[in-house]
Amino acid sequence: MMDVAIGKVVRSNSHIDYVCQVHGPGEVAAPPSVSDYAFGTFVRIPIGAERGYLVGLIYNTMLLNPDFGNLGPQLSPAPDLAVFSPDYLAEKVTLVGIIAIGAVNSDGSSSHGVPPLAAQIDTIISTLGDEAVRDFHTTSVGRVQVGYTPLLLTQGGATGRHLLLRVIDRLIDLFPAQVAALTVLRNQVAWQAIVTPVGGGL
Amino acid sequence: MITATPIGTTRGPGETAHEYTFITPDREDQARNGEFVFYEAGIDGEDRRVLGRITQRQPARLLPDGFLAEPSVAPADIAALVGYSGQDHDLFEITVSVLGYYNTALSDFINPHLPPQPGTPIYIANDEMLGAVLSRRRLGQTAGAHIGSLLSRPDNAVPVVVDLRAITSTHLAVIASTGSGKSYLAGVLVEEMMRPSNRAAILIIDPHGEYHTLTELQGKQEFSAGGYSPRVEVIRPDTVKVRISSLSLGDIRALLPDLSERMHYFLAKGYRLVQDRFGPNWTLAQLIAAIEDSERQVSGKAAEEGGDEGEGTGGYGTAGALAWRLNSRLQGSRIFDDMASLPLQRLFRPGQCTVLQLNEIDEREQQVVVATLLRRLFKARMATQKGQTDRTKEDYLPYPAFALIEEAHRFAPASADLVSSQVLKTILAEGRKFGVAVGLITQRPGKLDPDVLSQCMTQFFLHVTNPSDRDRIAESVESIGRDLLGELPALSKGQVIIAGAAVNTPVLCRVRQRLTTHGAEDVDAPAQWLRWFEEGREEEDRADIALPQEPETRGRSKLFK
Repeated sequence: MMDVAIGKVVRSNSHIDYVCQVHGPGEVAAPPSVSDYAFGTFVRIPIGAERGYLVGLIYNTMLLNPDFGNLGPQLSPAPDLAVFSPDYLAEKVTLVGIIAIGAVNSDGSSSHGVPPLAAQIDTIISTLGDEAVRDFHTTSVGRVQVGYTPLLLTQGGATGRHLLLRVIDRLIDLFPAQVAALTVLRNQVAWQAIVTPVGGGL
Repeated sequence: MITATPIGTTRGPGETAHEYTFITPDREDQARNGEFVFYEAGIDGEDRRVLGRITQRQPARLLPDGFLAEPSVAPADIAALVGYSGQDHDLFEITVSVLGYYNTALSDFINPHLPPQPGTPIYIANDEMLGAVLSRRRLGQTAGAHIGSLLSRPDNAVPVVVDLRAITSTHLAVIASTGSGKSYLAGVLVEEMMRPSNRAAILIIDPHGEYHTLTELQGKQEFSAGGYSPRVEVIRPDTVKVRISSLSLGDIRALLPDLSERMHYFLAKGYRLVQDRFGPNWTLAQLIAAIEDSERQVSGKAAEEGGDEGEGTGGYGTAGALAWRLNSRLQGSRIFDDMASLPLQRLFRPGQCTVLQLNEIDEREQQVVVATLLRRLFKARMATQKGQTDRTKEDYLPYPAFALIEEAHRFAPASADLVSSQVLKTILAEGRKFGVAVGLITQRPGKLDPDVLSQCMTQFFLHVTNPSDRDRIAESVESIGRDLLGELPALSKGQVIIAGAAVNTPVLCRVRQRLTTHGAEDVDAPAQWLRWFEEGREEEDRADIALPQEPETRGRSKLFK
């Protein structure tokens, strides 16, 4: 699977929480499809050739429509608007929230958790292919690791546990030999995400 | 200067003034309940090692239960999966009961009454330190009895040597449920008491006939030194003799239950009369005659006063009924005798263990036998100590004596006041002054008189599960704390808690191997049933009880068979 550029960094809410504006129609030659920036997608946020890149996870989607609430009469019919006020139309954008969950250094080594370096404005964000995801989650002794779990559970907000469940599901596909340990973790998270809210103990 | 590695760090004071807690990852599983730890503190200008015993172990930090869901996946692997690469997943909070620092001059622990500062390192006490401070005596030392070794350490690493001087002056209680090894432990204690370094005078009251194997002591090299070799005398039930004149009025009353008030009156009167007439030695016939004379005196007076006619004449009145009962109980008994009795000097002798087997004797008679023996022992020791007797008399006993009583709840039950209870209480209260001590062995402390139990200042506790028994122990025994009480149901066979006067602090001990054979093995019924068939006994029996073959019937009658 090819890495797909999905948009650019337009702002940040914190050191690890970024907002990415998804490329709209006409902005790039091949705009991303909806599935490219789905909830739980791993993304790459470059921080310079010699420094490697941040690994992020899409945890939120926001649809921005300045026209929302403007219920007054329009002077031009809708098909003409694209011709007479193109800037106005371009302000309808899709934003995705990205949480930085680790970094991959230029030498290929990876670290999980809060990355020391931050991304820059306008940095192009692209999806992370299976191979890169597998490498990011493999320790030096060849075991699978999800070291950003506490970060997602504490910083991931209301959807943090569900985000983690999606991640684990993907890792189960990528690491078939280590399904047992991943399943234990999945069950633990699933209990807290699914059963505890409806009255399950602990 | 301590060179050992600390196992934990003090957190702060515990719930009570003599407790503190420390935190440890306990990588080598050393911080077990009952284990001894110490910290170093400057007390009175000197560095002291303040010893304490671990009483509780609680988790301070544990992996989530969900990590333990899959038995084939180690919880540590799940911790590594979520990015935890630290070594110590689990931390424990350990509660320690402070014993104090050991003062060699006082041979006891001094409590500093100041818990360690938070952050003070805690060390496991080494074997040498424990060996020096837990036991009051050393191996091979006079008055030392090597019962076993400290349970929390490897076998024989820290020998537990109890102080026989404390046991033989302030009494002993061995408390255990059936099958937990109390007779075995008692055997070990007797072996130790018979060693050349101790040479005790012991009497074992053996209602089950379990201690005869102690005769093996006599040939063993371990027990012989410098011309000394212990003697073991087993007195079989058929040779147990009690002279009738050694029975107290209470003993006779205990043997004859359900007497009427009138009978009690004449018995007491006759008992006093026979003593007035013949002194301490009299016979059953003389007692009966005295009873009849007493009745005659009373009836004579009554007749003169014109009342109560017809009673007490010709042996058919109260005296006659009493005589009949006395004869049937005492004359027919193989134990009670007009002349013969077991001489105290035969029963008690330094370097001799006497096993008095009472296994074929009625329980009421057992109580009277024990009561008379202990009474005679106590009186003899008292008279000898006070110089009221001399070596020509049979109540002369110029050395202390120790009586080990199995099934003690039979002789001093909580539910009744028996003749033996009274004697035991006297010995427990005053025996110390005259060198008479008892060791009470019971499997039902709940049934033992609480006053009796509370007077035994050294206690050996084995496995006890019954809650009422544990309540009685908690109520009657001061030396055992609630932490050790909680250990009682968890003790395995051969594990004992020793508490009280004979040790410096309560210790959990592994009982050592006995050198003589254990005499109270259970019967292996299935093996014996199998042997019955293997020996062909079944066939023999079948042949013995086979009926003769019936003659074959002929003719018509066969049709109607």
